[in-house]
Amino acid sequence: MSEGRTHAAFESPYDLRDALKRLAADGVSSKDIEIRSSAPLDHDVFPDGAGVHSRMPWMALLGAFGGGTAFFLMVKLTSEAYPLPTGHMAIVALPTAGVITFEGIAIGAIICTVATVLYECGLPALFRSRQGPLDHHLADDHVLLSVRCDEGASEAWTAGALETARD
Amino acid sequence: MSNAVARSHEEQLIRPLTAFRPKLFVGSLVTGLLVGLLFYSWGYQIVNDIGVAGINRPVFWGFYITNFVFWIGISHAGTLISAILRVTQAEWRRPVTRCAEAITTFALMIGGLFPLIHLGRPLIFWYMVPIPTGRGIWPNFRSPLMWDIMAITTYLLGSLLYLFLPLIPDMAILRDRAMKVSPRSVRTLFFRVMALGWRGTPQQWHSLEAGIRAMAVIIIPVAVSVHTIVSWDFAMAVQPMWHSTIFGPYFVVGAIYSGVAVLMVAMYLLRRGLGIGEYLSDKVFNNLGLLFLAFALMWGYFTFAEHLTVWYGHEHAEMTVFNQRISGEYAWVFWTMIVTNVVIPLSVLPFPKGRSPLGTAIVGLGVLVGMWIERFLIVVGTLRYPRLDFNVGTYSPTWVEVGILVGSVGLFVFLYFAFVQTTPIVSIWEVREGHHLEVKARMQHLAAAKEEPHV
Amino acid sequence: MTRWGLVIDTDRCTGCGACAVACHAENNIQTVGEEEAAKGRAMHWMRIERYYEGTFPDVRVRFQPVLCQQCRQAPCEPVCPVYATYRTPEGLNAMVYARCIGTRYCANNCPYTVRFFNWFSPEFPEPLQRQLNPDVSVRPAGVMEKCTFCVQRIQDAQDIAQDEDREVRDGEIRTACSQSCPAQAITFGDLDDPASRVSQMAEEQRATRLLEDLSTEPSVIYMRGGR
Repeated sequence: MSEGRTHAAFESPYDLRDALKRLAADGVSSKDIEIRSSAPLDHDVFPDGAGVHSRMPWMALLGAFGGGTAFFLMVKLTSEAYPLPTGHMAIVALPTAGVITFEGIAIGAIICTVATVLYECGLPALFRSRQGPLDHHLADDHVLLSVRCDEGASEAWTAGALETARD
Repeated sequence: MSNAVARSHEEQLIRPLTAFRPKLFVGSLVTGLLVGLLFYSWGYQIVNDIGVAGINRPVFWGFYITNFVFWIGISHAGTLISAILRVTQAEWRRPVTRCAEAITTFALMIGGLFPLIHLGRPLIFWYMVPIPTGRGIWPNFRSPLMWDIMAITTYLLGSLLYLFLPLIPDMAILRDRAMKVSPRSVRTLFFRVMALGWRGTPQQWHSLEAGIRAMAVIIIPVAVSVHTIVSWDFAMAVQPMWHSTIFGPYFVVGAIYSGVAVLMVAMYLLRRGLGIGEYLSDKVFNNLGLLFLAFALMWGYFTFAEHLTVWYGHEHAEMTVFNQRISGEYAWVFWTMIVTNVVIPLSVLPFPKGRSPLGTAIVGLGVLVGMWIERFLIVVGTLRYPRLDFNVGTYSPTWVEVGILVGSVGLFVFLYFAFVQTTPIVSIWEVREGHHLEVKARMQHLAAAKEEPHV
Repeated sequence: MTRWGLVIDTDRCTGCGACAVACHAENNIQTVGEEEAAKGRAMHWMRIERYYEGTFPDVRVRFQPVLCQQCRQAPCEPVCPVYATYRTPEGLNAMVYARCIGTRYCANNCPYTVRFFNWFSPEFPEPLQRQLNPDVSVRPAGVMEKCTFCVQRIQDAQDIAQDEDREVRDGEIRTACSQSCPAQAITFGDLDDPASRVSQMAEEQRATRLLEDLSTEPSVIYMRGGR
């Protein structure tokens, strides 16, 4: 009884939903299930919620705070390091420092957001990501379901699939 | 629309990436020549000093700064579409986001060249970069030019990433398709690398969409700040008709206006050239046409307010510059701009027939010319007439400046052609997502209708 | 504290232009040639502006020598991204050629149009290079320049005074323009020294400044109104 993965391709997310219900009824743990789609799936496709989470808004805010502080300090410390009076302005002119700080807030938020996305998605995963036998179905807007199970396990959940495969 | 029909439409999108398109190839060659013109003119100027341009005293800024503001302005197309329309959840934006965001990114790259091109000593441009040097001196952050650098860097980085993030799932679709058909080709390797190993799991989608939503919210204030800061290159100077508090909002509105104009032209050409009318549909053109009209009205309003204030106040220095525009040497330029930016759009766009693809593209071309003229009038018009009347000047561009302008347009089209041939110009997964939402809405509607008692 | 200032008596000015020529000679300013001058690129740190009043035969010409006003609140200073221009403790608007990358923003923000740009590198064909002032640099293409109140002469006088262990005396420093004016219309000195000629002239009723309403607080005072 060798372990492996059973793959199934479904035409629509609603077929997927039925398959997931059957898997839940069979008591298969969600850790052994992988769902893949070429477009985001509606969350009501998943019987018990998708179990997804993201630190996103907080990470962006953290980046914004860090970036703004960094840029403000850049202006303040460099202006004070070699102070040269220009026009009527103070050495650390707050309105102009404000403009630079604003851009720092933005750039910090951007970098943190993108870094968070890449981290949470586990990207880049060029070598770790495995190709599956039914991947081309994703190009046709079908959804893929892979379940890690033993060879002889029940495959009732694959009823309604366009194609199945085992590896 | 059924799945099979949707797939056949997608084949149209994917064709430029996999098949040799002679028109695109020839287009790339021709624009490549223009890119050569750009770098030749620029190289000539570096070797022979900046004096080969037409700028002088008192017109110290001319074509280069006009082009700089023009290109940065055009870059606001993408932000309007992919960010503002995403945040407001306007579903019709789905086919347009990528081609708009591409315009933004390439226009920013080209706009960012011009501060280098216009420098007297470009090889020491790095004095403006805040890195520690042996001299112990740092850049002057009080200068609007430093604000420019910070803002444009932020916006360019943001735009690049905002273009790239939604590209990952599309690259994955192309990868999965190509792996079945031709697993060993270079193109497939390109798609595999660009897809970064994307699998499309619910967690990945959740994170990606959260990231795109966050980016959309972040990039809107960045875009507003970028063109405001560019306008402050003028507004912070105590020159007649520059030192105006209205410049910030005026330029942002003008930027989005010119951005939509480029978008209309680009969409029309893409629709005709790639045959993707199912995506860049009449409905999309109609909606964008309405936005176009709104910005025409806003631009007209700001322009009128600016000129009314100057005329009413009747200050000598400002009126000298003003009269040059209304009835003087640049009157023909100014009134051409009014025709292309106000008269034609307001005569064409209020009518549904005018908001056809061809109609909006023609209006868009006119607006592009008009917006370039607006920047030219602001830069050169003011500088020609300094406060001390003795120092009046003139300006005529040389072949170097014209070559660089024409070359920059060529570079933009060249980059765009390259983009069209390496990525799908319509975001496949976003359109699919929209299709799923439509199906779901229809099913819910049917279910609700079934439950209602018959009247 | 020293604060350098210049007083120009326009009632004495005859418009002869000797100040402009002397400035060229003293400061190694390039002669751009006919073609470039026609394009508007002539460089005259000190120039005589002519304003015609009235109609023939009652025409009057007003001469106004204009140079860098060394503003106390100079609009040209904050806009330079690389600190190539800033205010020195002695009240001069310094121009740092080595630092200038040629954005030309300072020239655009000067309401007096007193800044000049080197569009090409200067050429001094033989034997004109022998005329160059060794105390002053020659600026390359891409660099902005303007009147410095002959800072090399100020520096020289201060060095000598330091060697002789005394203060600089009023009238000891003469800028090239004040030295060469045949009508003695230009006076240079320390505006913060109450005993200096310039500070006394600055208090007179005829004293005025250019474009005063812009609040640039120039250090150049014009005497006007006598005729």
